[in-house]
Amino acid sequence: MEERFDAIIVGGGLAGLGAAYTLASEGLEVLLLERGDYSGAKNVTGGRIYVNPVRDMYPDLWKKAPFERFIAHEEVTVMAKERSITVRYSGEELKKEPYQSYSILRAKFDRWFAKQAERKGAMIVTKSKVDDLIRENGRIAGVITGGEELKADVVIACDGVLSLTAEKAGLRSPGNPKDYAVGVKEVIELDPAVIEDRFALADGEGAARLFMGEVTKGMFGGGFLYTNKESISLGLVVSIKELMENKQGIEIPVMFEEFKNRPEIAALIKGGQTAEYSAHVIPEGGYKALTRLYGDGILVAGDAAGFAMNIGVTVRGMEYALASGYYAAKAVIKAKEKGDFSAKTLSIYEDMLKSSFVMRDFINFKEAPHVLENPRFFNYYPELVGNIMRDLYAVPAGPKEKLYPTVKRYLGFKQLWAMAGDMRKVMKI
Amino acid sequence: MNVVVAMKQIPDLQQIRIKNRQPVFDDVPLTFGSIDKNALEAGVNLKENGLADKVIVLSAGNEDLEDTIKEALAAGADEAFLILGDDLNGAESSVIAQVLTAGIKQIEDVGLILFGEGSGDNYSGQVGSRVAEILGWPQVGYAGAVKVEGNKAVVTRVLEDAEEVVEVSLPAVITVVSGINEARIPSVTQILKAGKKPKEIVEEDELDEINKDALITTVSNLAPESDRKRVVVKSTAELVDKLKSENMI
Amino acid sequence: MAGILVFSDRTNLALEILTAAGVIGGTAKVLVINNDEQAQALSDAGADVYKLSNDDISLADVGQVAEVLKEAAEKLNADIILLSSNRRGKELAGRLAQKIGAGCLTDVSAINVNGDKIECQRNALGGATVATQYINGDKKVIAVSPRSFAPFAGSGGSINEIDITIPASTVKVLEVKPKAADTVDIAAAEKLVIVGQGLNSKDDIPMIEELAAKIGAEVACSKPVATDKKWFSEEHVVGLSGKICKPELAIILGVSGQVQFTVGIRDAKVIAAVNTDENATINTMADYVLTADLHEVVKEMNEILG
Ligand SMILES: Cc1cc2nc3c(=O)[nH]c(=O)nc-3n(C[C@H](O)[C@H](O)[C@H](O)COP(=O)(O)OP(=O)(O)OC[C@H]3O[C@@H](n4cnc5c(N)ncnc54)[C@H](O)[C@@H]3O)c2cc1C
Ligand SMILES: Cc1cc2nc3c(=O)[nH]c(=O)nc-3n(C[C@H](O)[C@H](O)[C@H](O)COP(=O)(O)OP(=O)(O)OC[C@H]3O[C@@H](n4cnc5c(N)ncnc54)[C@H](O)[C@@H]3O)c2cc1C
Ligand SMILES: Nc1ncnc2c1ncn2[C@@H]1O[C@H](COP(=O)(O)O)[C@@H](O)[C@H]1O
Repeated sequence: MEERFDAIIVGGGLAGLGAAYTLASEGLEVLLLERGDYSGAKNVTGGRIYVNPVRDMYPDLWKKAPFERFIAHEEVTVMAKERSITVRYSGEELKKEPYQSYSILRAKFDRWFAKQAERKGAMIVTKSKVDDLIRENGRIAGVITGGEELKADVVIACDGVLSLTAEKAGLRSPGNPKDYAVGVKEVIELDPAVIEDRFALADGEGAARLFMGEVTKGMFGGGFLYTNKESISLGLVVSIKELMENKQGIEIPVMFEEFKNRPEIAALIKGGQTAEYSAHVIPEGGYKALTRLYGDGILVAGDAAGFAMNIGVTVRGMEYALASGYYAAKAVIKAKEKGDFSAKTLSIYEDMLKSSFVMRDFINFKEAPHVLENPRFFNYYPELVGNIMRDLYAVPAGPKEKLYPTVKRYLGFKQLWAMAGDMRKVMKI
Repeated sequence: MNVVVAMKQIPDLQQIRIKNRQPVFDDVPLTFGSIDKNALEAGVNLKENGLADKVIVLSAGNEDLEDTIKEALAAGADEAFLILGDDLNGAESSVIAQVLTAGIKQIEDVGLILFGEGSGDNYSGQVGSRVAEILGWPQVGYAGAVKVEGNKAVVTRVLEDAEEVVEVSLPAVITVVSGINEARIPSVTQILKAGKKPKEIVEEDELDEINKDALITTVSNLAPESDRKRVVVKSTAELVDKLKSENMI
Repeated sequence: MAGILVFSDRTNLALEILTAAGVIGGTAKVLVINNDEQAQALSDAGADVYKLSNDDISLADVGQVAEVLKEAAEKLNADIILLSSNRRGKELAGRLAQKIGAGCLTDVSAINVNGDKIECQRNALGGATVATQYINGDKKVIAVSPRSFAPFAGSGGSINEIDITIPASTVKVLEVKPKAADTVDIAAAEKLVIVGQGLNSKDDIPMIEELAAKIGAEVACSKPVATDKKWFSEEHVVGLSGKICKPELAIILGVSGQVQFTVGIRDAKVIAAVNTDENATINTMADYVLTADLHEVVKEMNEILG
């Protein structure tokens, strides 16, 4: 007897789990294969998730979700060699339920999410790495793992930034360094009372801090710090291309050590114990670097498709992973109704994404990487940061407003004139 | 004849973190001890060679066991006999031995009980011996090979300085070393089928009197302090220099 | 003071256990089964030996030996029984404890008497932690790890006879294959070069030995290299089920660093780790970390050291 699944999902990160959860909720036979010991085991993220954009896609999920702290305080620090400027923003709107963003530890969240998907009926098998795809009559018809063939009407590639599955399906070509950043992160354990004290947090509140400038030696990227319940996530993200080209030949672990040793940071992590160190690649090529999203019998979601972006002040990928996983599932459900899993039918996935915040954000921020490469943006106008902060951080349920109107609202004529050069580029964001 | 394999659910040791010298178990997934997996493989091999009818995994632990057991069922066990109790995870050997023995008495036609030489976390190597004593069966420890011939088992036991080949009559208790075999990694299909294999679940308090007197008191359980330099060197030459500078070579 | 009964079929281990008995205090008596030579050696070292001669007893029959020890302990008024935590001793410990209703601790590496408690140290969680535990109640079975105590040396020993009758063993020994004698003692070595599964093949061992010879070290290995690959005898294994080593220098090549291994080397003074995986756990417990192919590194070291 040959078992055939409605869908096989490769990768149990947020995209894959989102797809599995959605498909299983509709009663489809879905198998998710994850190479890690369990979902979340090795998934690296900075640690902040915005819930608004995906709240309605998973209505039952949020109440008990094991988030860490809701973000009630935002800070941006511009670091020069020997000094830094910090802007803190703690609007009341950040403290109202439903909270717009949370700090999150993936090892905990993904495992819990996997359990929820299993409860809906998804079959999840861990410690199974997909090695290849099965082709039948020119279409993708399943996967090969550990020499074993498993068949399905459709395969959803959710295997993260270096997606082998999308590559084998011919939907993506090997990456170009300029489309990627590398991130390192440590989880540093501290007593909750110490965290609350150091960051001036009330019960349950969390802080998000971003650092730019000297931390990356002027390279495109930045540092981040999120407070969890009993730990701090501290990390650094740097463009791979700039890292390869940097003349000082400085390497990321060294940069990270220096970052940790900055007096501003050292004071925040003092007495903490590093519980986890990880490094990971982040897609940040934006719209232009997205893979093809579908083929005959296959869809691509999450980082695998390129759905993460770094707009200089923050990395976002988790909501896009959750949303693209959701839409991929919806597309499969439509295809099953039709009994047709061809590229033509599955193209509805792209249509759904286009009318959602996902593609609209990506189109809006098409030029972001290139503009924000210019360090002057942070050095010349630090005061600008405070003004645009609230709007910059607000992530609405719908697509995010373009950066330009946000910026313009806060600028007088005098500055504008001086900025004209940079602004021409900023306007493209 | 059926073969019973005793397997202990333990926290995945690779994922235990140490905080202030204390082990932290939060969110650490559960699995079976690796030598117990060798014991299972040995049982499954006997069955595959037509020397046993069924392989039944016997395990005592908390309710997570219902999930963990899938691993063993996928790796070739036919059935599971689970004894659940909140305080059974990490209970002491004397209690576990009584609980397991009570379970064995409910399983039909047991010819052989296989144990790991030591559990993955405690590694005290007592449970198998204690069960053998309660049952009054012969035991052979540290088996590197097991053959069944009629109502006898021929076991090669691996000692520090010799290999000893012995013959015992069945039923018997045998504990195995990790070198006895390489435990199979179940395929996805086997994992999916594991959910459907029969499981007998007994609550601990349904068993006849278990004497739960604590025979052992733990004063402390701390990770040793360590402070290592962790200097990253770039080349062999640099490594040699460093070691020379410490007068080590 | 409680009486202590000591037993191990290995004379060197019995001597170590006698030292442990001394830490506990009280009078220790040693049981020797069918081994005149051992009885003589132990009494020469100053122990009170009780010699049992009975051809019905087979050391391979744990159930039977446990029965013998139970009888002997009763006859000699011993509540505490000290065994060695080698394979035979460990197996015996559990059975004997069950038989006499005692609590039991195995792999005990240190003993400290605290009032009326005999606090024992043993590795727990695969070696990630060291637990301090004691046995409640009068009857205790403690199995002491080899090499944890110095051999006993005293004077005024004696040899006495003890008589225990017992039904013949049901475990039949068909064959004993002694392992080729291995003279290496990695636990005593000052320097170790330790290889793990990162080593490509048996053919690469000579260059490891060459390196070891150049720096005056012994070669040791992780468990799978001995038990699965069988490239070395088990005498070379470092770790929880191998040997606990405390060398001045350990050069660790191609070992991932799981707790059961690291427990055997964490007391080394200086640790250098070579691994192709920069995130290997072993790197977190090394003084010098080199992310590289061990084969290249060893070749280069051999060249540099000439
Ligand atoms: C340092 C850093 C900071 C970040 N900060 C943030 C942030 O603050 N906020 C935010 O929203 N986003 C952030 N991101 C981005 C975000 O983490 C990712 O966009 C998101 O995790 C993508 O989810 P995913 O499910 O697509 O991929 P992943 O989470 O990478 O999941 C892919 C899964 O597929 C599995 N897999 C891969 N190959 C195979 C195979 N062959 N067979 C089986 N399984 C396979 C992997 O084990 C993995 O579990 C950050 C990323 C990094 C690296
Ligand atoms: C109860 C119990 C007791 C145990 N007792 C012991 C014990 O006493 N001793 C012991 O060692 N183990 C013991 N183990 C086993 C232990 O858990 C590990 O499985 C074992 O230590 C792993 O050995 P390894 O590091 O050599 O192999 P692996 O874990 O396979 O690691 C090989 C390493 O080599 C690296 N590598 C690969 N190629 C190269 C190269 N070319 N150059 C450099 N590096 C390379 C890899 O990155 C990897 O890190 C025990 C297990 C249990 C359950
Ligand atoms: N809770 C348990 N359930 C089933 N088997 C167990 C349990 N605890 C120990 N065992 C078995 O006993 C062996 C020895 O365990 P230990 O005495 O803890 O070293 C293990 O390898 C298992 O085979």
